[in-house]
Amino acid sequence: MSSRRMFITLLRIVVAIILLLPLLFMVTTSLYPPGEPLPTTLQLLPQRPTFANYQRIFDLLPMGRYTLNSLLVVGLAVPITLVVSSWAGLGMARLSRPAQRRWIVISLAVLMVPGIALWSTRFLLYRTLGWYDTVWALVAPAWMGTSPFYILMFYRACRRIPSAMFDAAQIDGAGVLRTWWSIILPMTRTTAVGVALLTFVFYWGDFISPLLYLRTGDKYTLPVALQTLQQLSRSDWSLMLAAAVWTTAIPILLFLLLQPVFSRSQKGS
Amino acid sequence: MPMPDRKTHFSLSQQMRWRLLLLPYALGIIILVLIPGLLSFGLAFFHYDALSPPTWAGTLNFTLAYTDELFNLSIRNSLALILIPVPLRVFGAFFLARLMQRNGRFLSWFRSAVYLPTIVPGAAFALAWLWILNPLYGPLNLFLQSIGLNGPAWLVDPTWAKPGLVLMALWQIGEGFIVSMAALYDIPVDLEDAARIDGAGSWATLRHIILPIIAPILLILTFRDAIFTFQESFTHIYLMTEGGPYYATYTLPLFIYEQGFDLRLFGTASAALWVMYTITGLIVVALYTIAKQWNIGTTEDSLVL
Repeated sequence: MSSRRMFITLLRIVVAIILLLPLLFMVTTSLYPPGEPLPTTLQLLPQRPTFANYQRIFDLLPMGRYTLNSLLVVGLAVPITLVVSSWAGLGMARLSRPAQRRWIVISLAVLMVPGIALWSTRFLLYRTLGWYDTVWALVAPAWMGTSPFYILMFYRACRRIPSAMFDAAQIDGAGVLRTWWSIILPMTRTTAVGVALLTFVFYWGDFISPLLYLRTGDKYTLPVALQTLQQLSRSDWSLMLAAAVWTTAIPILLFLLLQPVFSRSQKGS
Repeated sequence: MPMPDRKTHFSLSQQMRWRLLLLPYALGIIILVLIPGLLSFGLAFFHYDALSPPTWAGTLNFTLAYTDELFNLSIRNSLALILIPVPLRVFGAFFLARLMQRNGRFLSWFRSAVYLPTIVPGAAFALAWLWILNPLYGPLNLFLQSIGLNGPAWLVDPTWAKPGLVLMALWQIGEGFIVSMAALYDIPVDLEDAARIDGAGSWATLRHIILPIIAPILLILTFRDAIFTFQESFTHIYLMTEGGPYYATYTLPLFIYEQGFDLRLFGTASAALWVMYTITGLIVVALYTIAKQWNIGTTEDSLVL
């Protein structure tokens, strides 16, 4: 191995460790026994690690309920986003070149609209539609594919499909929806997995929507639970970080589970 | 070969059906972005508390917002918290993409490590960094202490609160990393190899071959990241400092939130947003010019975003 490659590998290791440190601190601090004074020197692991804090967050707050609420939000938002964004991406790829370009510019423009510009009027909109204080207020962006970014991802994937594929499907008598379901989706599945993961992460971590559009406590999602815990027990670090780990664990596990799909596709390209 | 009439008709409607796939997306943009955006634009001229019907206010809301000292402070803080971290984030994302570009052992795991912090929900990330930046027990200051340095009080100290937020913003750069990596993949390997054979060093290759090709993408990424950072920092600031200490981290989203959702002054909130409309408008125009100039979306596979 040349010294240059050694250097690159070393740099990669250092960067990876630095980037993962916050996650590591989050986990190790959550394992400190409750009520014990925190150490004043840097320690990697507590001397007597315990899972007691994880028990305590469930005693203090209806964490099971919040977790189910969060799962309900992603359970609705991810499929809706996948359908809307893959349809739009496919539709875009079938347009004429100038029309494709127009849609790219529209999508990029929408991507640049900051969410806070829409906070108050979306609040009014959801109230009019009867979505205020319901799960639909949290899921709403899914109806436009959540982010134009995802539409552009599908568009990019669909453009790589040779047009002979579409002709063949048409000759076989397959309609638009049939072509989408049995040809396009399987061929763009890496993109679909990527969009699903990004969508999951987006809705799972969304703190602003429940803050603005929910009023009833039993509809809250996990990020709001973190805020509640922080107000409840300001300096109980191991308790707060146990809740943070709980909130983070599911998206991380999902990512690690799906990671092989992405690494395979990277080798392909 | 003559085509039967029915078939021509079928292929026409087929084209229309492909177009129909764009309908939900188009409707979604109109209902969730265009209409709320335009409404919010007009709301600036009304008194509105979401309880009683709106009444005409003329330009009073603008006077109220733009003479508010907190509003002016929030603009300055927002600009500082965009202009400093965003270039660092984009540069960092590009540097990491370049570092993880060529093959090596466990490459996909290294890439995952870069992306992993981005998956952490904003609220959980805020709590983790609230702990890391804790002046007394936080790992960062304990580390600084162990190498003989006296760490600052970070989020409790008005001069160090912003640097603390900038520091934590450097961890969640997964999106920029993926976009940069996709952009780098689109550069033919031969091009780089040819440059190397011609005797170009890695810096010269980067400067003269790679950067010119992906410059427009990095520019779009910078705009996008500015908007994203602006938005995402609300969650962090709301949970970590609530705008303090002494309004050192009080940003425009916080001002809008207080006006709209605490005080129910939707008109004033909208008037304050006009600054943002102006900035967003300028960005969109710039974007359009860039897209035209570099022919984004017109050449094969040049689109990564």
